[in-house]
Amino acid sequence: MSLKQSLSYITFLSLIFSTGCGSYSEFSSEATKDYSRAEMQKFAKYMVAGKQLYTTHCSNCHQESGQGLGKLYPPLAKSDFMMQNVNRTACLIKNGIKGEIIVNNITYNQEMPALEELTNLEVAEIATYIYNSWGNERGFVTVKEVETSLSNCQ
Amino acid sequence: MKIYFKTFIAIIFGVSLLGCDPAEKQNKNEEFPILGRKQFVERTVNGETVVDTIDHTIPDFRLVNQDSIWVTPKSFENKVYVADFFFTSCPTICPTMKKEMLRVYNAYKNNNSVAIISHTIDPKHDTVALLKDFAQRLDVEAPKWNFVTGNKEEIYELGQKGYMVTAMEDENEEGGYIHSGAFILVDKEKHVRGVYDGTNSNDVDRLIKDIDRLLATYNEPKTKS
Repeated sequence: MSLKQSLSYITFLSLIFSTGCGSYSEFSSEATKDYSRAEMQKFAKYMVAGKQLYTTHCSNCHQESGQGLGKLYPPLAKSDFMMQNVNRTACLIKNGIKGEIIVNNITYNQEMPALEELTNLEVAEIATYIYNSWGNERGFVTVKEVETSLSNCQ
Repeated sequence: MKIYFKTFIAIIFGVSLLGCDPAEKQNKNEEFPILGRKQFVERTVNGETVVDTIDHTIPDFRLVNQDSIWVTPKSFENKVYVADFFFTSCPTICPTMKKEMLRVYNAYKNNNSVAIISHTIDPKHDTVALLKDFAQRLDVEAPKWNFVTGNKEEIYELGQKGYMVTAMEDENEEGGYIHSGAFILVDKEKHVRGVYDGTNSNDVDRLIKDIDRLLATYNEPKTKS
């Protein structure tokens, strides 16, 4: 084997190892820097499940990029409305919303349908995903938090 | 052994090149059919019976757009246009359709030969004022992009018989209506020239290519007759 060939093998193998294999670097952020390995593992699970649920239930309107659409559907990425209040968000995911809301200084008024069939775990997974994607860094939204939020919806 | 291997690779490569070429040529000259059921009408010319083939044509309609202006086939005179069916409170495929239609809108923003018409299938809820608000929120304007409402039965019939797509009420469906996510391309003679999945980006790319192709057919010198 020539030196050139061996080098290219090494590059190839190191590429395989660096892209995954046990590290959750793709999910880590400022918010997750103190998470233990076990917590990080759970967080990653929520993120993956959350993304799938988001794609099924939310991305039609809010888009895969979380940017929303024009002034019709509000963004979730860097949304002040959403970041202000996790309890309210959990309620919105489950129960939907009607009427005007103001997101990043723009008034939106499009009904969002309820998703009553979602379990508390699924709401937590979606919430964890949207609160930790597209530049949002809040960290875990746990099932416990969701339970508390949902029992206090207005 | 090495030489065999190299020959083998060369052959595979060569075959794959050969394989590509005819397919691409075919693609370029691909037919651009007029869709829909044809009617055959017999008539007598100089005592002989001849059969005329009449292509499917979009029937007459009269609907009102977001600016309270009547929209009829005449509004699309000398234009090719894209039609779809939706309703503003639709929670399922419509947002994706609107995102994709927005790409078509932006692609032909400065081309007066292309227009868009989106029919609401929920005219009771989607009033002119609501459609106006919807259009403004998407940052689009008539006459380039018409959001039209009108008589419900007329819209359903236009959808089914004219554009050959499903559009009707269905209380079992999420949102209360069943409708196709199709974008329908109509030429200047009111013939349907293509049906595309408005929820699929690749298909909408194909629509944009086909609009270009269709426009090109109108600029062609009339050498063929």
